[in-house]
Amino acid sequence: MNPSLKLALLVLVALEISFTHVWTVNIALIVVSLILMVWSHVAFKRLVMLTLIPVFFGGALVWSLTLRGTASTHFLLVIFTRMVAYVYMGGWFAQTTNPLTLTRSLEQNAKLPSKFAYGFLAAFNLMPKIQAEVATIKAAALMRGQVLHFWSPQLYFKVILAAMNWSDQLASAMTSHGFVEDAPRTHASEIPLITRDWVLLVGSLALVQIGLFVGLP
Amino acid sequence: MKRWHIRDIILVTILAIFMGVIFWAITPLYSALTAVFAPMGLQPLANEILLGVWTMAGPLAGFVIRIPGAATLGELLGAVVEMFLGGVWGASTLISGTVQGFGSELGFMATRYRRYDWITLILSALTTTLVTFGWSLAREGYSAYHLGFLLLLFAVRFVSVFVFGGILTKLITNLLDRAHVLKH
Amino acid sequence: MVNVSIHNLTFSYPQQAQPVLNAVNANFPAGQFSLLTGVSGGGKSTLLKLVAGLLPTDAMTVTFNGQSLAQIPATQRSQTVAMLFQEPSTQFTMDTVANELQFALENQQVPADEISQRVTAALDFIGIAPLRDRKLMHLSGGEQQKVALAIIVAMDSAVILLDEPFASIDPATRLVLLQRLAQLSRERGKTVILADHDLSGYTDYVDRLTVLADGRLSHLSPEATQERLANFAPARLRLQHVTVPGDNQPALLQGTQLSLATNGRTLIAPQDLGLFAHHTTLITGPNGSGKSTLFRSLVKLGHYEGVITYDGTDIHRLKRRPYARQVALMFQSAATQFLNVTVDEELALSLKNSYADHFTTTMVTHLLTELNLADRREQIIYTLSSGQQKKLQLLCMLIMAPDVLLLDEPFKGLDYESIQTVIQILKRVQRELNLTYILVSHQLSGLDTFIDYHLQLADQHLTYLGVSA
Repeated sequence: MNPSLKLALLVLVALEISFTHVWTVNIALIVVSLILMVWSHVAFKRLVMLTLIPVFFGGALVWSLTLRGTASTHFLLVIFTRMVAYVYMGGWFAQTTNPLTLTRSLEQNAKLPSKFAYGFLAAFNLMPKIQAEVATIKAAALMRGQVLHFWSPQLYFKVILAAMNWSDQLASAMTSHGFVEDAPRTHASEIPLITRDWVLLVGSLALVQIGLFVGLP
Repeated sequence: MKRWHIRDIILVTILAIFMGVIFWAITPLYSALTAVFAPMGLQPLANEILLGVWTMAGPLAGFVIRIPGAATLGELLGAVVEMFLGGVWGASTLISGTVQGFGSELGFMATRYRRYDWITLILSALTTTLVTFGWSLAREGYSAYHLGFLLLLFAVRFVSVFVFGGILTKLITNLLDRAHVLKH
Repeated sequence: MVNVSIHNLTFSYPQQAQPVLNAVNANFPAGQFSLLTGVSGGGKSTLLKLVAGLLPTDAMTVTFNGQSLAQIPATQRSQTVAMLFQEPSTQFTMDTVANELQFALENQQVPADEISQRVTAALDFIGIAPLRDRKLMHLSGGEQQKVALAIIVAMDSAVILLDEPFASIDPATRLVLLQRLAQLSRERGKTVILADHDLSGYTDYVDRLTVLADGRLSHLSPEATQERLANFAPARLRLQHVTVPGDNQPALLQGTQLSLATNGRTLIAPQDLGLFAHHTTLITGPNGSGKSTLFRSLVKLGHYEGVITYDGTDIHRLKRRPYARQVALMFQSAATQFLNVTVDEELALSLKNSYADHFTTTMVTHLLTELNLADRREQIIYTLSSGQQKKLQLLCMLIMAPDVLLLDEPFKGLDYESIQTVIQILKRVQRELNLTYILVSHQLSGLDTFIDYHLQLADQHLTYLGVSA
């Protein structure tokens, strides 16, 4: 499925089940996401993670609502299945979507300005450098006898200074590599957007609407 | 009105990634808090105590980058990064990231992107708390809590958002300001 | 072929009184390979960025065949001029080599069906076809610079600017890049301007030397260029007092079967290595050979194989906080070491946290005077020159007085006089506090009476040189 439409589907459905109280639809979404993940060969360990975490946090939330609130069993069931559904749908999306393809699709199909698409990608590639920088800053501070915690302003100050340098350097490099904001570009990797994608999007949304509004529990 | 340039977009994304790194680093603390609070039915308190850290990218980006939409984009990108790093909350992170970012954005909007001081940060902390709390009422079923407990959750959330998004952000931006790297 | 002219170009950064470039006039002839030299921090980078259009200039101060960059449509500017940067890792947008080249060609609006073929041709020209689908962040600095040049080749830019491109890359890669650049200027008529403060190894490749000094440019004739390049010999290391440590001498830091690698490339093959207390050890070796990586491993910031012990204990088992008191690194980039805003704040922090009861405020004032920093106490660190930052960084680390101080290029950006002062101070503090120094330095002149041991890193192996004790 086209990544932009896939993202739209995911966000719309997640938004809808946040405001509706039909646990059977949540269960249906869980089952469909699970099938899609198994079908895409998502690792078993990942599936276990995706199950344990929402069960733990969702369980703790339900327990808390039971002790400190006035929730009915139906309400608790909705909240719990909602948590699991979020995680399963997100898992399906993240495990079956390549960030680069998604970004290209957003640029080509969803008309996201290219400066956002490529600015994001450029920074995303710095991820290991950012992690290393945080470690270096903390070690350098220790050598000055200063321990930096996540609440120390100096840690953020130093990281932001480095980030400013890098963003200057990357922006210069992109300009030097011919990138011009808001200028047209060619696309050697075309992300297809075909009728089947639209049918899948509209069809899936229609099914969810039916499920939510025909009076299922 | 200032427009987005590629440099700002890269900077806001790096900030978002950095906040992701920070958040990832405090996950053990979050899990520990949850484990301590859960048996007493106080699990949401673990969220509330640390929520300020998670929503900090908003005010920080808004204050450093000073372009309309910076706070929202900072939070949203943080969520995107988290999703691709393998954060399990996936789709709902995208939505709550946008909600949180928009909450912070309202504070900057209220002072029309002209004041970068305590007033804006306090307003931003307040709008963040209000907007995200409204979201929790619906999404996490907070609406079913007894009023007293609900007020406690709200108070803890405001303090957390104020400490990180207000006080800590102000201290950081003071340093940046003194180093003359913030554009006015 | 494109000729670059600079007319009356003046540039100053905000918050700096002196202009970096002062009424510069110059002409870089089409199809020539020009080497731009001058002291570190002297404005070479600034000049290149101005030519590349990455910093704002007045109209017509920089022209390409008579046209300013502003007169060329934005999407065609990269065909006129492109730049290769000093820091290899922060010049890419995409994840893989092929995607990055594709990105650049898409920006130039090259038709989609021509892109793949042009990518292949550019990679073949540089000789990095096997890297095509590799992740850029997994490549070494040298490989990244090769990719950066391949991008410029693919874009077919007429003017190629390079800002200290060899600062952190190995000699073999440097040679390949130089050969390709010479080929680009001679066979394809590209105008190449390369900035470097180190003039060694250019004789066979460059057409002309341009010197930037005190904000002004001067060109040397071809004869003068060849003479200057031939006479340039990096300050030779003349160490007459170094000895090889004895076999039974106990080492303070001991590596056992220690080996280092980066992105799959071996830097140091497994070997035993001892570093000795209360002496000064100098480590030398080519760029990119792993000296800084070794330092990072010694302070638990890098991955290594084998075992490193400090005073007999595996450093993995030592807690970071107490270990930082024992072994500290003076980072190559001075800014890494600072935590505050002004000079005084930094000094106060070091004085507060110092491990030695040695330094007093009076002493610090005296040291500042020696280092010519006495009138800078209130200044914002980030507006100091790179040399001043380096001196402040050294002072901060000396005040901390860790048992072992690793110094990574402590003399970088300092003039000769400052280096002498710094060495005097280092020696004095070492005598008074019995410190251990281990340093990496490309700056070798005047070190003879300072160095006790000399470790040379060559062919992935560290060896002590000198007379047997």
